[in-house]
Amino acid sequence: MSNSVALSVQGVSKTFGGVVALEGVSLDLKQGEILALVGPNGAGKSVLVNVITGFYEASAGHIFLGDNDISLQPAHVRARMGLARTFQNIRLFLRMTVLENVMVAMKQHTSNPLRAVFCVNEKANLEKAMSLLHKAGLASKANDAAGSLAYGEARRLEIARALAGDPHILLLDEPAAGMNDRETEDLAVHIHALRDIVQATIVIEHDMGFLRGLCDRMVVLDYGRIIANGTVAEVLKDPRVVEAYLGIEA
Amino acid sequence: MTSDHIIFTGLNILLAWSAYVILMSGSLSFANGAFMALGAYGSGVLTVKFGLHLLVALPIAAVGTAVFAALVALPALRTRGVYLILVTIGIASCLRAVLESTPYIGGVRGMSGLMGTQIWHIAVLVVLVGGMLWWISRSPLQRILDAVREDESVARSMGIHTVYVKTIMFSAGAAIAAMAGGLYAHHMVFVRPENFDILVSIYIVLYIILGGTNNMWGPVLGAVTMTLLPEVLRGASEWRGTLFGAMVVLMLLIRPDGLLAFRIQSISARVMPPNREPQS
Amino acid sequence: MFFEQLLNGLVVGSMYALIALGFSLVFGVLNKLNFAHPELFMLSGFLTIAMVALGIPLAIAAVLVCVVIGVAGLAVELVSFRKFAGKDGHITAALSSLAVGLVLIDGAQKYWGTEPISMPGASTLRIASVSAWGISISWLKIGTLIFTLVLMVVLHHMITRTRFGRNIRATADSPDAARLLGIDVKRVNQYTFLMASVLAAIAGIMLLLRTGYATTDVGFSLGLKALAILAIGGMGELRGAVLGGLLVGVLESMAFHFGLGRLSDVVVWILMIGVLLIRPAGLFGGGGIHKETRA
Repeated sequence: MSNSVALSVQGVSKTFGGVVALEGVSLDLKQGEILALVGPNGAGKSVLVNVITGFYEASAGHIFLGDNDISLQPAHVRARMGLARTFQNIRLFLRMTVLENVMVAMKQHTSNPLRAVFCVNEKANLEKAMSLLHKAGLASKANDAAGSLAYGEARRLEIARALAGDPHILLLDEPAAGMNDRETEDLAVHIHALRDIVQATIVIEHDMGFLRGLCDRMVVLDYGRIIANGTVAEVLKDPRVVEAYLGIEA
Repeated sequence: MTSDHIIFTGLNILLAWSAYVILMSGSLSFANGAFMALGAYGSGVLTVKFGLHLLVALPIAAVGTAVFAALVALPALRTRGVYLILVTIGIASCLRAVLESTPYIGGVRGMSGLMGTQIWHIAVLVVLVGGMLWWISRSPLQRILDAVREDESVARSMGIHTVYVKTIMFSAGAAIAAMAGGLYAHHMVFVRPENFDILVSIYIVLYIILGGTNNMWGPVLGAVTMTLLPEVLRGASEWRGTLFGAMVVLMLLIRPDGLLAFRIQSISARVMPPNREPQS
Repeated sequence: MFFEQLLNGLVVGSMYALIALGFSLVFGVLNKLNFAHPELFMLSGFLTIAMVALGIPLAIAAVLVCVVIGVAGLAVELVSFRKFAGKDGHITAALSSLAVGLVLIDGAQKYWGTEPISMPGASTLRIASVSAWGISISWLKIGTLIFTLVLMVVLHHMITRTRFGRNIRATADSPDAARLLGIDVKRVNQYTFLMASVLAAIAGIMLLLRTGYATTDVGFSLGLKALAILAIGGMGELRGAVLGGLLVGVLESMAFHFGLGRLSDVVVWILMIGVLLIRPAGLFGGGGIHKETRA
C-alpha cells in the first residue's frame, strides 16, 4: 500500500456562538489505513465528522481530499468527490425497500438527478446493488421495507448504501453502537474486508475491544483538541489519554 | 356531466398535480393558486394585448412563472422547510394586492376577452403531465426525489444536490399551475384578482392531503372528489369549507398519508439463491 | 398628522404583536405552526358582540370570551396537535390546524354572514378622546396600547421569573429533556395553547373596540401577516414577535401615509423576504447549533 495521504485535516477549528467545539485539529488519513477516532462524549468527534463531510462549515483551517482543497465545497460535492459517511443514529430511508436504499446511492444518478429520469444502466446498477447486499448478507431481504430490518442488519445496510456511491473514503460514525459482542465481532470483520473497496476508513467508536484488532492508528479527541495520535498500543499508554478517558473498556 | 364539470375536474387535477410535483421533493407550497394567477394573467396579457395565439401564450406564461417561482423561492429552498411554506404564503398573500393595484391588467375589475380554451387542450395537458409523472415514478429519479423528501441531509451526504432538485421541482409545479391557470382564464373569459385568493392555494394542498400524498393518483382522487362531491351531494357546495375541513381533520387523525397512501416501489429484484455469487 | 399615523401604527402593531405572540408561543414550545390561531382571534370579536347583544356588560363579556376562546384553543390542541407529537408531525399538525381554521371560518360565515357586524354601543367608546399637542388621540387607542404593553411585561415576567415559565422554557428547549426533569409536557403544551388563545382573544376584542365591528376575513389577513412577523422576529422568539409586530405596524402605517394604499399589505412580506435573505434566523433568532445545521 502506498503511503500517500487520502484525506488531510489541517488546523480545523469550529465554534458555535461562543462555544469552541474544535480547536486546531490536524490529522492525516493515509491510503489503505483504518483510522479510529475516539474520545469522551462531547469531545467533538461528530462535529469533526460533520466538518469533514461539509455539514458544518469550519471556522478555521483546511481540508484536503487527496490534492484537492475541499474546505469550501458543499456537502454534496464532497460526496461526489468520494467522501461517504454513515450516521450515529442509523438513518435509512425507511419508506423505501432495502434494495432501493442501495440503488438510490448510485453515483450516476445522484450526480445527475434530472438525467436519472432515463433509466440508463438500471440493470448494471441492479447487479451491483445486489452484489453489495449479498456481501452485507441482506440479499434475501432486498424487497423488504427498510424499516423491517433488525438493528445489525440496518447498520450493514447503511454501510452498503454508503459503498454504493463508490467512495474513496468512508467515515463510520459509531457503527457498533447498541450491538452485542457477537454483532460487534461480525461488524469488525465486515469493516476490515472493506479495505479492498475503499482507499481509507475513519471509524468513530467508544468500544476499545472492537477497535483494537480493527484499526491501524488511533486519534484521541478531548474538548475539541487532539491529545494523542499513534497506534492503539501507544495511545492507550499515553497518560493524557488515560486521564481524559477514565473508564476505557479494556 | 356537463362540459364545465369535465373542464373544472381536469383543471383541478392539474392543479393538484402541480402541488404534488413540489411535494415529491419534500416541499409544501401554498403558492400554487398564485402561480395559477400568474399564468392566467400572463397568458391573458399575451393573447388580449399582444394578439398571440393561446397555445403560444400558455407556454410562455408557464416559463415566466417558473422562472419567477425559482427566483423567489431559492433563498427559502436553501433552509428549513418551514421558511418555504411562509414564503409561498407570502407570495399568495401579496399577489392579490399587487394585481389589484395594477391598472394595466384591469386592477380590481380584472381583465376580459380571454377566450379559446377547448376541452381537448385540458385533456392533452392532463395526459402529458400524467404521463410525465408516470414515467418519473418508474425511473431512478423517483428514488432520488424520495430520498430528498424523506431525509435531506442524508441525500446530500450521497452527493445529491438537494437545492437544485427542490428548485427544479418547485419551478415545474409552478409551470403546471400556470398552464392550468391560463386555460382556466381563457375558459372563463373574465378574470379578477379575487378569483385567486390564498384560499385556492390552500384547497389545492388539501386535495393532495385527502387523496394521498405518496403517489400520483392520490391528488387525482382528491381533486375529482372535491370537485364533484358538491355536485353529487346537494347542499354540499354550500358547506364546502366545513365539509372539506372536517374531512381533512379526520383523515389526518385516521390516515395521515391520505386515502391512496401506498408508495409505488421503483424497482424490485429477483431474489438470488443464497449460495450463488451474482455475476458482476 | 404624521404623529397620529405613527401612533396608529403602534396600536395596530400591538395587535399584530399579540397575534404573533400566540403563534410564537406555540411554535417555540411545540415547534409547530397553529393555523387555527388566527381564526380564534376572528371569532372572539363575534362572540363578544353576541354576548353584548344578550345584555351582558362589556367587561364581563370580554372575560367570558377569553375563557371560551381559551377552551377552544385547548380543543384545537387535542384535535390537531396531541396525536402528532413527534418530529415528523410538524406538517401534519399544521395542516390539521389549517383544516380546523377552514371549518371555523366557514362556520362563522354561515352563521354571521360575510358582511361586517357592528357592536351596539361601540361608537360611544370610540369618540371619547383627548387633545394634546394639537392632536386628538382617542382614549381607546391609548388604552389599547398601554394595556398591550402591560400584558407583555406581565407575560415576560411570567416566562422568565416564575417556575411555570421555567417549565415552559425547558419544554421549548427539549421536550424529552423536560420529561426527564419531571415536567409534565402534556400540561405545558396545554397551558401554552391556553395562553396563546387568550392572547388571540384579547387581540380580537381590542380590534372590535377599536373599529366597532367584526368581520370573518380578518383572521386570515391578519393571521398570515402574523406568520410573516414570526419569521421576521425569529421563529419562537417572543421578543421578536412583539418588536416585529410593532415594527410592521409602524411601517405599514407609514406606507399608507405615503400613499401606497393597498400595497401597504405587501410591506410585511417584503420585510420577511429581506430578513430571510440577510439573517435567516430572524432579527432576534438565537445562534448556536440550530443555526448551523443546514436543512
